[in-house]
Amino acid sequence: MQGSLNKIRSMEEARVADVFDLLAWEIELAGARCIMLDSMIGEVMNSLPQEERHKLQRGMHSVDLLSQHLTGLSAFARRLSLDVTPDNVAPTVSAVADVSLGALADRMRSALGGEEQGLDDRHNAGNVDLF
Amino acid sequence: MYLESRGLKIVVADADRAVLEMLQIRLDLAGHETHIARTAPDAIEMVRSLRPAVLILDLQLPPAGGMCVLESLNQRYNRLPLPAVVLSRQLAAGDIQRAVPLGARDCIAKPFSGADIVERVARVLKKFPSTWGSGGQIPPQPNGSQTLHI
Repeated sequence: MQGSLNKIRSMEEARVADVFDLLAWEIELAGARCIMLDSMIGEVMNSLPQEERHKLQRGMHSVDLLSQHLTGLSAFARRLSLDVTPDNVAPTVSAVADVSLGALADRMRSALGGEEQGLDDRHNAGNVDLF
Repeated sequence: MYLESRGLKIVVADADRAVLEMLQIRLDLAGHETHIARTAPDAIEMVRSLRPAVLILDLQLPPAGGMCVLESLNQRYNRLPLPAVVLSRQLAAGDIQRAVPLGARDCIAKPFSGADIVERVARVLKKFPSTWGSGGQIPPQPNGSQTLHI
């Protein structure tokens, strides 16, 4: 992506293959986070009494399904990135501007040839409501 | 399966933040301690200071490319004292021919899946243990050849 030598033209005229490649990596990252969440739920579940574990089992099942969902989408985007005609280009400026999560938008912008601001996931990650 | 190696330091050098974070999560979940670098000088410094068990290295790493990292580390240590797993978007036969004598033990073409890379890194860790503290010599292969998993 950013460090690759065969890209990037510009955000106004990004190669469609690069856009699918970028999507594949971001979905892969979301899938990795899902696996991390699954692992954490598993740890919490092990600390619960047997009779209370069923409360988490449904959530764990959903996370597992989500992880498989993302793995499938990532494979789909990855394959498209390899198969799409190399000359196809797409404007990405407006699309990236619509991404409201700061760190994600920053990663996408820099991967598509725009300027990186160095935002991490603490930016615009939303408030954590504990109550 | 090759998942018995755990708790090892791993340096991942790639310019792309999504790739880095994804690999860090995957490798941490596999029980390793993952350190990330986004430039060639950072990668060289991390290997020098951390003495990791394996280096995962993108050949397109800025500014000069991952091959320069391998060449620099080989010069510094006479021979690379740890296995390297190289990643590349455009994996050409010439890249493999250059990277293997410099210590690359596996070459993985991008794009790859996170699940695949964890298993391949574990396989490399098992077959090619690092030799920090033992003279920087990588143990020879049993059959005298170098194995690549492409």
